[in-house]
Amino acid sequence: MSGARVLEAQVGIVGAGPGGMAAALHLARAGITVVLLDEGFRAGGQIYRQLPEGYDAGHRISEPPSHRAGNHLLDAVARERIRIVHGATVWNARPGQIYYEQNNESWLLACEQIVLAPGAYDRCVPFPGWTLPGVITAGAAQVMVRGFAVAPGQRALVCGTGPLLLPTVTALASAGVKVVAALEAAPRSAMWAALRGVIGNGARMREALFYARSLLRRGIRLQWGASVFAADGDGRVQSALIGKLDQQGAPRPETARRIEVDVICAGFGLVPAIELGLLLSCAARYDAPRGGHCLVVDEQQRTSVDSVYAVGEIVGIGGAEVAMAEGRVAGAAIAARLTSVSFDPRLALHARSERRAADAMLRAFQLRPGLFSICKPDTVVCRCEDVTSSQAAAAGELYGRTTRGIKMGCRAGMGPCQARICGLNLHDIFCDGVEPDLPVAQVPVKPVRTATMIDVPRR
Amino acid sequence: MSRDLRMDGVLRPPEITFTFAGQPISARQGETIAMALWVAGQKALRNSSKDGAPRGVLCNMGICYECLVRIEGAPVRACMVLATEGLNVEPGGKS
Repeated sequence: MSGARVLEAQVGIVGAGPGGMAAALHLARAGITVVLLDEGFRAGGQIYRQLPEGYDAGHRISEPPSHRAGNHLLDAVARERIRIVHGATVWNARPGQIYYEQNNESWLLACEQIVLAPGAYDRCVPFPGWTLPGVITAGAAQVMVRGFAVAPGQRALVCGTGPLLLPTVTALASAGVKVVAALEAAPRSAMWAALRGVIGNGARMREALFYARSLLRRGIRLQWGASVFAADGDGRVQSALIGKLDQQGAPRPETARRIEVDVICAGFGLVPAIELGLLLSCAARYDAPRGGHCLVVDEQQRTSVDSVYAVGEIVGIGGAEVAMAEGRVAGAAIAARLTSVSFDPRLALHARSERRAADAMLRAFQLRPGLFSICKPDTVVCRCEDVTSSQAAAAGELYGRTTRGIKMGCRAGMGPCQARICGLNLHDIFCDGVEPDLPVAQVPVKPVRTATMIDVPRR
Repeated sequence: MSRDLRMDGVLRPPEITFTFAGQPISARQGETIAMALWVAGQKALRNSSKDGAPRGVLCNMGICYECLVRIEGAPVRACMVLATEGLNVEPGGKS
């Protein structure tokens, strides 16, 4: 039956992106046994996503200067022979135990300490036509280019908000896609606010300069205060309606114009993937600029649960530099706990300064409430359960204008994605003025086979 | 038909073939089902259970479950499963 499908390590890390890898490296170098669990096929996470084995794209795919740090980290992790389990879908966890499915088999990673570094996913904002095949997230487009050397289309619209639009545009352009329009929903003043926030952070300033140059060189202009209004097409995206936004971020219909595109890449920021933290009963709080609900940690990346640490996006969106810095902190804190080395507080100071720069940038790109009026009454808001905006609104009237009330009334947020895509929208569109409900994490946090949950390995 | 969406000048492993709804689809080793179907121009992977509208890849990283297809009857995320030689994939459905 369950046999020996048990791995043991002193530290179990969920996520092989910059945060998880940095923590793993620090621990391995301190002589501590580590296992990294990752759902992808190769290490790097989404930000340092690698091409599959056997691929070589030379320098054809645009890489910002910050990716050099990622490549160093990937090399170092490989050199240390750190064990990474790929294709692992973690579906349950409690202190000391991480349960995952791999190749349809049920596995247990038994460990003394846990580091959560699961990363983030794209924030979506619903607009008419966004369920048409061909509307993808900005992250999805980057996965196609950086992860498979595939162009998402021939003519693209890039839209949404935040610093991730720039790497999306440059990735598409380097893949030979014609970027017909690049629309940033934030007003131009956000650019100055973001730049003020990163003054003094050399790496982030170099990054901004790299993107400014590469857009200029390709003749692509980022339009501020503009957005997609709708996607259209027969069974797939063939055109998009775009236009300017007003002071509140609401669409100005008189500015609308139609462009012919075969792919729409929309990214309205990122959302921290906190489900595992909630399942482990870690304290969380709502922080809109950081992307939604985030785990609470102390200066050593400890959560409220003893033996559970959290780094990177799960603590609030911050990017790869923050994740790496916090990963090192968690690694050092755990090493201090398990061995005789002492914790170097300078690591925590560095992580805090990276976090400050990221926070300043994110504050500039907060979604303005008017933007949600691009979502019309018959627009689907919950894609899993096919719930429209008017149905969700009606449910809110009947059962209370909270995400829980809406769920109860119309099943929005109860499908396989477990409200990862619609949860924040249900709040931001229908529950004005109420603090968002803490999402409920249920076992399994991701759908797995029933057999996986029945045939659970035991130590 | 439009040009190949696979970037030029990139070294890739050999070609393999699988089927989607009975039609042969060519892929490169290392590509997910979602990626191979996207390149083949097959963007619709399932129909919505309520209004029957076509749905396809949204997040491409295993979060949204919009790209569900079926292999041997079981629903899987097309973006998280590698295409392999001779695999038979059917359009999916949530539920």
